[in-house]
Amino acid sequence: MENSLDQCIKCAECTVYCPVLKATDSYPGPKKAGPDGERLRLKDRVFFEDNLKMCLNCKRCEVVCPSGVKIADIIQRARHRHGRPIPGIRDMMLASTDLTGSLAVPFSGIINPVLKNGAVRAVLDCTLGIDRHCTLPEYAQETFESIFKKRFSRQQQSYPRKVNYFHGCYVNYNYPQLGSDFVKLMNALGFGVSLIRDERCCGVPLMSNGMFKQATRNAESNVNVLSGTEGPVIATSSTCLFTMRDEYPAVLGVDNSSIRERLTLAVKFIYESVSSGKVRLAFREGWKARAAYHVPCHMERLGWGIFTLELLGMIPGLELMELDSNCCGMAGTYGFKKENYGLSQQIGSALFSQISGRNPDFVICECETCKWQIEMSTGYKVLNPVSLLAEALDLKKTAKLNQPALP
Amino acid sequence: MMKFDTIIIGGGLAGMHTACRLQKSGQRTVVISKGISLHKPDFSEYRSLGGRILMGDSVIRGEFEGGNILAVYTENLGQNRLEADNFILASGKFLSGGLVADMEQIYEPLFGLDVEYDRDRNHWFAPFDEHQGFMSFGVKADELSRPFLNGRIIINLYAAGEILAGVDPTETDSVGKILAHTEAIADRILGNA
Repeated sequence: MENSLDQCIKCAECTVYCPVLKATDSYPGPKKAGPDGERLRLKDRVFFEDNLKMCLNCKRCEVVCPSGVKIADIIQRARHRHGRPIPGIRDMMLASTDLTGSLAVPFSGIINPVLKNGAVRAVLDCTLGIDRHCTLPEYAQETFESIFKKRFSRQQQSYPRKVNYFHGCYVNYNYPQLGSDFVKLMNALGFGVSLIRDERCCGVPLMSNGMFKQATRNAESNVNVLSGTEGPVIATSSTCLFTMRDEYPAVLGVDNSSIRERLTLAVKFIYESVSSGKVRLAFREGWKARAAYHVPCHMERLGWGIFTLELLGMIPGLELMELDSNCCGMAGTYGFKKENYGLSQQIGSALFSQISGRNPDFVICECETCKWQIEMSTGYKVLNPVSLLAEALDLKKTAKLNQPALP
Repeated sequence: MMKFDTIIIGGGLAGMHTACRLQKSGQRTVVISKGISLHKPDFSEYRSLGGRILMGDSVIRGEFEGGNILAVYTENLGQNRLEADNFILASGKFLSGGLVADMEQIYEPLFGLDVEYDRDRNHWFAPFDEHQGFMSFGVKADELSRPFLNGRIIINLYAAGEILAGVDPTETDSVGKILAHTEAIADRILGNA
């Protein structure tokens, strides 16, 4: 890992653009918490401050830094190295998405209405510290993996071209609809989809709750399993993808070089397939919508928002507005916590008011946690670009265009 | 592959000013900006005009043919080729990395364009309160602001703002000069002049 802190010229551009610092003065800010603090921490651990956990890891500091300093990586690595958190039951629950998800899905019929109940929410607020204003994501009635097995897996063998799908916890336990949209879309484009055997949570909720040991275990397992696959590994969630591609080596120190080049995001993969002429699209006639695109922080860091804009720009009936690049304030599970709720809402306020000002039919965004925050704070529906594309395309016509030529 | 009318490298004062002007005139443009410049340009207006911004991205190489630049590749977009009819290089001077100085030479790191500077290193800098020679070094360009690569003009590349030789950002009227100059470049690209 290169010591990029020496590249810092102290211009403080990161400090100006830090969404946390805009909302509170109890956080030292990226320059002080990152490169400046690191100099001291290298000397003595005593300079480690617990308030580094206020960093949302949105990476906006790295995007605006004119000198290429990996500011947020420095902060996250310091938390990893020096932080000695003893996560409470709430943080463990929010972080262990695989465990809570598999326990909750079979009882989703009971759990969903219970979690919506005002009295229950007040109890959760007082006992666990999950803010009562928050709407927790609903659990699905059946996991995506089980739906895939029943409805999709058999026909996938008939496609000559194959992709691997990293669905992530949210698709599996909460929102299998997105996974189904992805499979239908890829099939129409002429690709068969395989799921990843023994896929584990990418680890991002574990990292943000300070559980770096468990996150590293997940990372090692995922890299190991993925290196046994062939062809592209596609995610629909920008956060899962970013974590596996960039945070495994930079924050967890897990070598992913054997798979990194094959990791991609659905919008990028589809855009590249269309622009290189490998795939053709046929859109539904008469379909019309007005949408606003919110670029999630990790998408901004990847620099891949342009793929979504260009891809959705091909839809004839879509009026697409690009929102200003702002953090929504949710940052995974941060915004659910009682102690962060107010700050999280304040961070997202610029985005919320721009959305209601534009009044779109819906918001487009690749990140599930932005989706929770925007839906709960503005009331506007949020769609992943994959779902929007699946809706705007004439899937039957598209499938015909992409049928392999018969020998 | 992505195709634009004009690709602007550098999202500072000169880059954003030209980009907004071209986008407003109906061109399809993209700005590739390594980080945010201290000028704090208004990205919001440019975005609402449909302009594309690659923020935090940098050009890693250009493709040249017969005195023209055809395409660039960036760090974040990998193998995706960004094509355009015209290109604007507005990557600034030393602070933003548009120019690099080492012990022997001053060079333009992106394409290796010809740079105008005093070969005698003793003339690069002066005592603190005097005029600093290095502030007016920059990329050599013809009267239409087109830079040279190994002595040959690049026909569809324009150098704008501080990267140009002779533009000294410490001069009091430098901002006005840069803006007037970028207007002239935009006019040329739009075929108004």
